[in-house]
Amino acid sequence: MAAHTHENTAPQNGHLETASLDGKNKVLGFWLFLGAETVLFACLFGTYLALRNQTMGGPTGEHLFDLKLVALATAILLTSSLTSVLAMHAMNQLKLKTMQFWLGVTVLLGLGFLVLEIYEFIHYVHEGHTFMSSAFGSSFYALVGTHGAHVTFGIVWISTLMLQAAKRGITTEMAPKLFVSSLYWHFIDVVWVFIFTLVYLLGKVG
Amino acid sequence: MAGHNQQSTTNQPASRKPEGVMKHLISFAIMIVLTALAFYLVATDVVPEGWVLPLIIIFAAIQVFLQLFTFMHLDQKGSGYYTLFIMAGILIAVVSAVGIILM
Amino acid sequence: MGTLIVLLVLALFLTAIFTGGYNKDFLDRVKTSKVWDWLTTVDHKKIAILYFMSGFFFFIVGGIEALFMRLQLIVPHNDLFVGDTFNELLTMHGTTMIFLAAMPMIFGLMNAIVPLQIGARDVAFPFVNALGFWLFFAGGLLLNLSWIFGGAPDAGWTSYTSLALNEYSPGPGIDYYVLGLQISGIGTLIGGLNFLVTIINLRAPGMTYLRMPLFTWTSFVTSALILFAFPALTVALLLLMFDRLFGANFFDYTMGGSTVIWQHLFWIFGHPEVYIVILPAFGVMSEVISTFSKKRLFGYTSMVFATVLIGFLGFMVWVHHMFTVGLGPVSNSLFAVATMAIAVPTGIKVFNWLFTMWGGEIRFTTAMLFAVGFIPTFVMGGMTGVMLALPPADYQYQDSYFVVAHFHYVLVGGTVFGMFAGAYYWWPKMFGKLLDEKLGKFHFWTFLIGFHLTFFPQHFLGLFGMPRRVFTYQSGVGLETINLISTIGVFGMTIGTLAFIYNIYKTFKVEAQAPADPWNGRTLEWAIPSPPPEYNFAQLPRVRGLDPFWLEKQAGNKGMTPAEPLGSIHMPSPSYLPVLMSLGFFIAGFGFIARGNYAVGILGLIVVVITMFMRSFEQDHGYHIEPEEIEDANKGVQA
Repeated sequence: MAAHTHENTAPQNGHLETASLDGKNKVLGFWLFLGAETVLFACLFGTYLALRNQTMGGPTGEHLFDLKLVALATAILLTSSLTSVLAMHAMNQLKLKTMQFWLGVTVLLGLGFLVLEIYEFIHYVHEGHTFMSSAFGSSFYALVGTHGAHVTFGIVWISTLMLQAAKRGITTEMAPKLFVSSLYWHFIDVVWVFIFTLVYLLGKVG
Repeated sequence: MAGHNQQSTTNQPASRKPEGVMKHLISFAIMIVLTALAFYLVATDVVPEGWVLPLIIIFAAIQVFLQLFTFMHLDQKGSGYYTLFIMAGILIAVVSAVGIILM
Repeated sequence: MGTLIVLLVLALFLTAIFTGGYNKDFLDRVKTSKVWDWLTTVDHKKIAILYFMSGFFFFIVGGIEALFMRLQLIVPHNDLFVGDTFNELLTMHGTTMIFLAAMPMIFGLMNAIVPLQIGARDVAFPFVNALGFWLFFAGGLLLNLSWIFGGAPDAGWTSYTSLALNEYSPGPGIDYYVLGLQISGIGTLIGGLNFLVTIINLRAPGMTYLRMPLFTWTSFVTSALILFAFPALTVALLLLMFDRLFGANFFDYTMGGSTVIWQHLFWIFGHPEVYIVILPAFGVMSEVISTFSKKRLFGYTSMVFATVLIGFLGFMVWVHHMFTVGLGPVSNSLFAVATMAIAVPTGIKVFNWLFTMWGGEIRFTTAMLFAVGFIPTFVMGGMTGVMLALPPADYQYQDSYFVVAHFHYVLVGGTVFGMFAGAYYWWPKMFGKLLDEKLGKFHFWTFLIGFHLTFFPQHFLGLFGMPRRVFTYQSGVGLETINLISTIGVFGMTIGTLAFIYNIYKTFKVEAQAPADPWNGRTLEWAIPSPPPEYNFAQLPRVRGLDPFWLEKQAGNKGMTPAEPLGSIHMPSPSYLPVLMSLGFFIAGFGFIARGNYAVGILGLIVVVITMFMRSFEQDHGYHIEPEEIEDANKGVQA
């Protein structure tokens, strides 16, 4: 594989990420990992939904959740998913600058989302809804916090790859790494779709 | 591994048409609409209360499939294994989550 | 803070030494040493040996724990190991045997054999493979250090809440369980993922799915089960960690938590786990029985189908561990039916093994003896399994020695026999030497008789009402004789295992190298030298059908037909990062177990993050082995 690591031609089928065997392995391996992550989040969702009414006299979801804030966070994360896919388009056309631009936007949107989430958590703690206050609190922070941790990891990961891409350009070695990080970012968005539906909206429905 | 060195030497012009950007924009638009609709249903009383939950779950499911098949490229050729394993994961995930919630 | 400074200074010293700042000669000596070679290896055959040997080491540890328990139960009112100590023994016995003995021995065989059977030069992710091993090892070590520092976990291998919460299990025991298993669990997960990608992407030309040997098939399904089952354990352990260390309330019912959620999460993982450890044993048996009957495996396609079906059903039956929780008749009946359905594909397998032997030219080597001994033993475990699958009957058997007898019949009669059969069968391929057959047969007979003597009477102990996990029993209620027989049986198993250890020792001292194909084998691994060169296949073989090597031998060919010309072979470079990253996890785990000051824990996590960055920025293209070197090596073998 090393023989053609540094070639700079667009791949025949338009997919640089699976142009080498290493790339094929990485992309498949990452999809398998996402399958495992699905089960992981399902267990957290199950736990939350089973325990969400156990507030022990503390504030309920209906009382706490602010739909405007959640809608804003959702819009930000959805948009970042789009910018991430645009970055992958640029990558497969070997447009380094365009790709870096869209990746940068993705990271910034991710940061924005994270700031909103931290603000939200601080607000909840002031309302008396903490990790230790009740089973509802524990399971809420475990689920949403795990998602937040994934977002944080994604931001660090994509930033790292931007640095590497700036140094090395778009190669058959970089492409699968970038593609896989984009898959990860979309997956985070998929999980969020269920969080806003089954945590926030369901909390409001009661 | 070794048989691999022969291929991928064909030169392709770097200026290829941006295929699929439109597709992604459309699916993004649908996602935004579905999300807005879900929030709208919950914030107002336009549908009976019992209908809200099933509806927003259906909206979420549609969004997930859009993400998987357009943004994450499962609609492309050679994605059979990816689809197989992610679907197996989703099946086991749903069974487990429903089990924990109901029992 | 003081500890922190000492650690930082130590880390700086080590960095200086390993970058050559201290003494270049010393560094060179280290880097050419055998130990460094094994620590940094990414070769699947060496990782196989690491897995197998550490798994066997933990098997001995778990066995000693079992021996201690049976010694305590040899007579009523005994006071050898009572109370907490007995609880620690039973917890660590179960946990060690499942997670630290069975899993790594399976991974050892998978690493050694699967790439060879599919005709691959390597696994898909050699680095991840090494990381998987070192994480498992770090986790196992952490868990067992509990014996020395602070007391071992004592809430059973299932670690049910509320018993496992701070209130009822003060002290660090359960923390060791939670963090040790979490770390080794991550290792297992990425190990399974590696094998899935390897089997999907790296099969030799012509090796279609329905030409894969059955051991590869069962490894494939096992890896898929690992992939989907271990996340549930990750979540369960994470939540228990939150409850114990950070004051969360998932399982504390006074704060609205639910203990049943732990049981769900644990068994959503735990039931597939049972199939994870048994399926590769099925695979070994299929290979061994087919080879030593000199016949193609009977009903190959149905065997594959049964394996996949068992894997799928494995996820749909977890509630049969919870029949007595009180989830209601509907869920109990549904899961009872699903559980009994598993007997069907398992039965298909048993009949296929019998029909493979039927009319075959059978050679009773040690491996074959273990395979033949396995069939009736496992069937007995399966029968009691179907009995336990009936909820009304389960209310009677629940938590009695009947259950203990049942799962030892399937786990020892299935997995342990399978691993022993695999060891005798593939030892020449792994180490290049043949194990002594005479000692092997002695090992088999003492172990088999000892096993049945130990566990067959336990069915009756259970039916007579002796609960499991108790450290003593009354005299005069008819339990003495059976318990005595059971303990005597353990000595049979102990002698058998000692014979195996002696056999290993003796084999290492023997000079004679094993031939490439000592058993007249059928699959690809026997077409290459024992032990194989680091690149496995000088030229990738072309596979023409099921049992490819056998087909070529029948056609009068000496070896496989190559699918490619001799060319330069790409190999991955060794890396010290897996060890370093696992060390980081180990330190982090220890730091969180020692509560109150999380500085050490965070330091460990920082090491993990730094090594991840190092890996990400590393540009390493491995190295190449040129055709001339390969030809030289081939001449060396022939000369």
